[in-house]
Amino acid sequence: MPALLFWSWWCLLSEMGSQSDAVLVRRILDGQVELFQVLVERYRTEFGRYATAMLGGDVDDAADALQEAFIRAYRSLASCRDRERFKAWLFRIVSNQCHNTRRARRRHVSLDRIEEPEDSAAARRVDDTEIGQTIEAALNELTGEQREAFVLKHVEGYSYAEMASLLDVGEDALKMRVHRARDELRHKLEGLR
Amino acid sequence: MTDEKRFSPEAQRYLDGEPVDGLDQTELAAADLFGQVIQDYAASLRTPGAEVDRAVMDAIVPRARNHRPASFWRWLVQPHLFTVRPALVAAAAITLVAIGALTIDIPGFTGGEQAAGTTTDQPATILVRFELRAPDADEVTLAGSFNDWSPQGVQLVKNAASGLWTATVPLTPGEHQYLFVIDGSQWIPDPSAHAQVDDGFGQANSVIVVGPRGVVRS
Repeated sequence: MPALLFWSWWCLLSEMGSQSDAVLVRRILDGQVELFQVLVERYRTEFGRYATAMLGGDVDDAADALQEAFIRAYRSLASCRDRERFKAWLFRIVSNQCHNTRRARRRHVSLDRIEEPEDSAAARRVDDTEIGQTIEAALNELTGEQREAFVLKHVEGYSYAEMASLLDVGEDALKMRVHRARDELRHKLEGLR
Repeated sequence: MTDEKRFSPEAQRYLDGEPVDGLDQTELAAADLFGQVIQDYAASLRTPGAEVDRAVMDAIVPRARNHRPASFWRWLVQPHLFTVRPALVAAAAITLVAIGALTIDIPGFTGGEQAAGTTTDQPATILVRFELRAPDADEVTLAGSFNDWSPQGVQLVKNAASGLWTATVPLTPGEHQYLFVIDGSQWIPDPSAHAQVDDGFGQANSVIVVGPRGVVRS
């Protein structure tokens, strides 16, 4: 009997986690706001890694961007008409937030350099090796589109078909962006030798 | 950048994970090294932790409760469609029976008896006619709380002479919210609706109230 009880409860608890995005969105809009946490947990790691790579390896900035993106997504959830494509809709919000964060950071970069001790800035880096910093510096020099495509391909490990679905861009155009990004990175990395 | 610093098309295809023929050994080594370096970098990236979940939920749950105080009552009176999984229903039933068996002393309970069958009264549906004058539209559909806001759910039929689009929809008694969808992209409220309500996110939904004997208010 205890095993049966445990199985029954496990089924009930795991039910929420196995609901499709579309069903969860409908329930959230019906008033079950707490279910939004299921969506946050579902995409936090995947989009968090993307945000970290897009923001030069700064996990604190990535956490802030991700948090803001999720809150924006909740506030505009009713405008997500095609709920079967919730993931792509959410990704655009995360992506836009990352671009906004980068723009804001560029505006304040000179001030940050004066106020922030160099040691602190270095400590926030995910990788303080020369190669890691070179990759981050090289990613920063790419266009936003190239950086995004490269991160999705090589950091997230998406196929071109998955990327095309997320970004609503053709596979050939995405390949071109990734190829150019690779050439730029190779060029930078060769300089280390 | 010189061509020497670029990957050849074959090496690019190799890095894309596609099959390639005749890739030069030097290029192959360079591509493998590049792939390994990037893989190591990706593995070194940290990701935001569960603090993001807490911050997001702290920000939205009070907001939702403050802005939608009547949502529970609205949920109670609105019709809902539920999807269930047989395994989940079985799990819930077993849980309830098990809890009952553990907490209530039922003489003669063996766990094998079957409860008497029960019947559920289905609420009667009322046929409601929706109309929208849109002579320039190529397609008009109806999306609402009664069809899970699916824009493909109800197609309206056009009277070419008058430009009037109509559809008759069976609705259960209760309050329903809806919008018209023109040409698959433009969501508009019903201009002839008696009431429009804020959907809680800054947009207006039309409201229709259906009683057991017909439309109470539209």
